[in-house]
Amino acid sequence: MLTYIDKIRQIAEGFLKEGTVDMVIGFRRGTLPLMNEPCLIKRPEDVKKLVWDSNCGINLANYLTNRKEKIGIVAKGCDSRNIVNHIIENKIKREQLFIIGVPCKGMIDRHAIEALFPSEIEEVVEDESRIVVTGGGVEQIWSKAEVLQENCTICIHRNPVVYDELVADLVVEQKDVDRYEDIRRIEGISPEEKRDYFNDLLSSCIRCYACRNACPLCYCPTCFVDASRPQWVGKSQDPTDIETFHFLRAFHCAGRCTDCGACERACPMGIKVRVLTKKLEKDCLELFDWETGMDVEKRAPLRTYSPDDPDDMIR
Amino acid sequence: MLFKNLIEYMGLEPGRLHFSWISSAESTKFVEVVNEVTSAIKALGPRKSMVKTPLTDIKDKATEHVDIH
Amino acid sequence: MTSWEPKIVSFLCNWCSYGAADLAGIGRMEYPPNIRVIRIPCTGLINPMFILTALREGADGIWMSG
Repeated sequence: MLTYIDKIRQIAEGFLKEGTVDMVIGFRRGTLPLMNEPCLIKRPEDVKKLVWDSNCGINLANYLTNRKEKIGIVAKGCDSRNIVNHIIENKIKREQLFIIGVPCKGMIDRHAIEALFPSEIEEVVEDESRIVVTGGGVEQIWSKAEVLQENCTICIHRNPVVYDELVADLVVEQKDVDRYEDIRRIEGISPEEKRDYFNDLLSSCIRCYACRNACPLCYCPTCFVDASRPQWVGKSQDPTDIETFHFLRAFHCAGRCTDCGACERACPMGIKVRVLTKKLEKDCLELFDWETGMDVEKRAPLRTYSPDDPDDMIR
Repeated sequence: MLFKNLIEYMGLEPGRLHFSWISSAESTKFVEVVNEVTSAIKALGPRKSMVKTPLTDIKDKATEHVDIH
Repeated sequence: MTSWEPKIVSFLCNWCSYGAADLAGIGRMEYPPNIRVIRIPCTGLINPMFILTALREGADGIWMSG
């Protein structure tokens, strides 16, 4: 994946010099290890800031909403699906975009590394298959496969769905992945156990809304959690309010979520918020045969009606 | 459908949330469904989960807290 | 628990179920008094937040009818 950097810079520089785009959205090295940050490059001489490694988990589609400029964007599999979703929802036009497709091999789970590493992380170096973490005089080596984000280990769309240029050959997609093992386990337990599970899961939530802000789907001018007339959800730390927030956040992503993992990555408390969005994703797949962001022409299940929509819950 | 699935996934008992289609001419069906819904919910008993702590309780807690200082 | 009666919040569409409820009333039909009817202009108006709000405020059950 590291070899992508030169190619990304080269394409971005070309685009900017030709004036094909006004800016390129990509990643630059973050101020902390494991946390690359998004950046907007507007001048050809700045393209050397662009990087690519296994810490680019943030979803760049988030920065496209309602933009008017012509944009070059670096997109891995999930980003590209979110870009498609943005196009479907008229948040950006396909003609504005020049998509630099990046076949992805998965991003590293920063929460996992932080939990596993005994000291403060000072430096992270990676090669094709391993990452070396150093800090506080300690050095530890993991193979990348061990510390991937959970959504990346079960990812079945690593290659971008839409792109104008590719930085490398497409990677082999993972086959026969059991994407919903954990969801089925929760579905199988009793209502009381489910309540305990979710109370426990969400108990550490501090209502910072980082999951919402990181999510490319959450672009409403006024989010329901900020609305005060009417106030849909209390602003307290009451477990019910927290539960309502997470429930609705997930539900607003129904049929739109690509399981990019940005929410979970952003969570400062390490809450596995994807448990909720993934359930909806599973239902969309099973009930409506729907996968988000695969086709610009198709509309999401909650936006369409068909006489054969499942309706066995209605009497 | 998605909503019902998700809320039950989060621990609401199936049978607390009902949906139906009744035309304005179907008063018998209306009565039938009311009976059905009521008995289903009666069978489940009072709901304990997902209820917000009433404001009065919170006030009690807040005053306790003030007393300490 | 013999005295406990459930509170069921019902969202009824003005043109369908609300009409059916009216008709049931005209026909002097009997049904349990546990439902608290909220008339809505159309079931299409329903927002998931309505259901959650009702639950949060302590409803024992929800009935949504179009």
